[in-house]
Amino acid sequence: MNRKRWLVCDVLSGRWTVVLWTFVPRAILLRTIGRTIGRIIGLGLILGMWSPVQAQIEITVPEPGGTGLPIALSPLANTSGGADQRLGLTFSDIIARDLDLSGVFRVIDRGAYLEGPQGLVPAEINFRHWSVLGALALVKGGISVEGEALTVEARLFDVAQRRQLGGKRYHGQKKDLRQMAHRFADYLLLVLTGEEGPFSSKIAFVSNRAGGRAKEVYVTDLTGADVQKVTSAQTLILGPSWGPGATDLFYISYKRGGPYPYRFGLKSGEERRLSGTVSYGGAWSPDGSQLVISGEKAGNTDLFLLSAEGREIRRLTKNAGIDVSPSWSPDGRQIVFCSSRGGGPQIYVMNIDSGKARRITFQGNYNTSPAWSPKGDRIAYTSQSGGFHIMTVEVQGGERRKIAAGEDASWSPDGRYLVFSSRGRLWIASRDGRSVKQLTGGGGDDTSPAWSARLDRADDGQSRPYSQ
Amino acid sequence: MQGLSQSFFRWCWLTCCSVLVCIVVSACAKQSPPRPTAPPLSRSGSGFEEGDISGLSDPGGRVASNLRDGPQSGGVLQDLYFDYDAYDLSPTEQATLQANANWLQSNPQAKVEIEGHCDDRGTVEYNLALGAKRSQSVRDYLISLGIQSERLATISYGEELPLCHEKAEQCWKQNRRVHSLVISR
Repeated sequence: MNRKRWLVCDVLSGRWTVVLWTFVPRAILLRTIGRTIGRIIGLGLILGMWSPVQAQIEITVPEPGGTGLPIALSPLANTSGGADQRLGLTFSDIIARDLDLSGVFRVIDRGAYLEGPQGLVPAEINFRHWSVLGALALVKGGISVEGEALTVEARLFDVAQRRQLGGKRYHGQKKDLRQMAHRFADYLLLVLTGEEGPFSSKIAFVSNRAGGRAKEVYVTDLTGADVQKVTSAQTLILGPSWGPGATDLFYISYKRGGPYPYRFGLKSGEERRLSGTVSYGGAWSPDGSQLVISGEKAGNTDLFLLSAEGREIRRLTKNAGIDVSPSWSPDGRQIVFCSSRGGGPQIYVMNIDSGKARRITFQGNYNTSPAWSPKGDRIAYTSQSGGFHIMTVEVQGGERRKIAAGEDASWSPDGRYLVFSSRGRLWIASRDGRSVKQLTGGGGDDTSPAWSARLDRADDGQSRPYSQ
Repeated sequence: MQGLSQSFFRWCWLTCCSVLVCIVVSACAKQSPPRPTAPPLSRSGSGFEEGDISGLSDPGGRVASNLRDGPQSGGVLQDLYFDYDAYDLSPTEQATLQANANWLQSNPQAKVEIEGHCDDRGTVEYNLALGAKRSQSVRDYLISLGIQSERLATISYGEELPLCHEKAEQCWKQNRRVHSLVISR
């Protein structure tokens, strides 16, 4: 884990400095001039007189669920001359939502800002306007529009040091604005926590929100506000999972009678049936070359290894119990799945090559729907104890953690968050369960969430100053 | 006096060190290059083979009518009920199946689709497989009573088509069922 500490030390000038330490090779120097700390400094100087106190105050890091690092997100200025501020507000709103979801930031309310969107380089920014609000970090930037073409430049400033910590420039179309904002939120997490955020990804889920008993697949961004209906089969479509690169979905559809596995291209809109085997779910291998599906033969459900085109390579399990819900290890050499071979459903890990499986859950008599963390260290699953709960357990078995009430968890691409369903809504929890935020709600029964990889980012560029 | 100058010297030394550390850290932060963006992820190949539909087919759109009109209960063939997370047939259910088998024997042209259902507790995929186990239990028992296997198709709906929507055992037990739909006579 990247533990970060605030180290407060005094220097000859009487300026106090807060250093954000991380164990990744990226340290960021931030200086606080907040009132409270100012008082402590004053007191320290008086007591210490000529020999100042060597004070080292350690504050535990912004971890999800804590009070969070205070950050101000100024709406981006419209630099193409028009009066329309909506795009700049939208950009800022999306980042605010993402950072709130992260659980490691406290976004300072826009209503309190003393300075407008103008001023994009340190010399043009009055940092006192931000430090009095308690902000340690500040985002400012500009948007210019030419027809449909859009250029966004956003920068991150250290308020106390009055300097730029980083920035990004994005070129694209107006329709790309939301995705640009999510990417910038990923970048903010990279700079401030040492690890890229998961926000430029999507979440697929199943819902009956179109009305009736049919269920279709929907895809939402991480704000939960940009929900797209993906399928229109007016039948039951269940168990979506993502292909690598987040360009294809796998799901189960009843459109031709019994439930069969399908592959759906999100850009082409093309749907192809993968197999004539009745199937209840499946998952792509991390490199996209293979799939494991749960296939039913003569009433019994086992796991089958398929090529990406749906050709059966090998039967992976053969026993009288139910074998379902496969999820791959990040290295593609093992799968975790749910099996009732020993009586009730429990979680097992299998080596794909040897076919040897070992059970990793031993508490409770109903443990299902496992998901292997992209970090590789833990497995999330659904456990019945009273109600249904999302749990995580180490890959070797052993230490378990209760995350939240819910079912069917899926990991974020950075392994720091879990999305799951509870009471017909989707929720996002930090991996320690300390932060739980609602993603979707209302309008129907939302279930079976699947978190994609980060979308590709070919047109990402480093920010350059506007004027030199 | 000597102690004072020593402590003053020590203080100067420590302060210089801390200033130096701060400057070095700050410089590192300034100079560290941006992390390169991730290379594009590999795409899996396209181009698919499509095989013939084997096993269950749905020319009459039974799934569509179940979705449109809602799941049915009863009919000429009686429904069977199950315990939570179970698919074995109790003596009562076996007696019911004997009656269903009698009807099938006196209607030798009839074909049946056996639907397996679950209550909404538990996860979706496991419940689909559990529904398949339930419909297969019923199919196997009917075959053991002399009904030809080609007259009996199965389908699992898992927890997708409940008859009852309350969160209570009274309701859940109505949903843990197998319904037999006569599809041709």
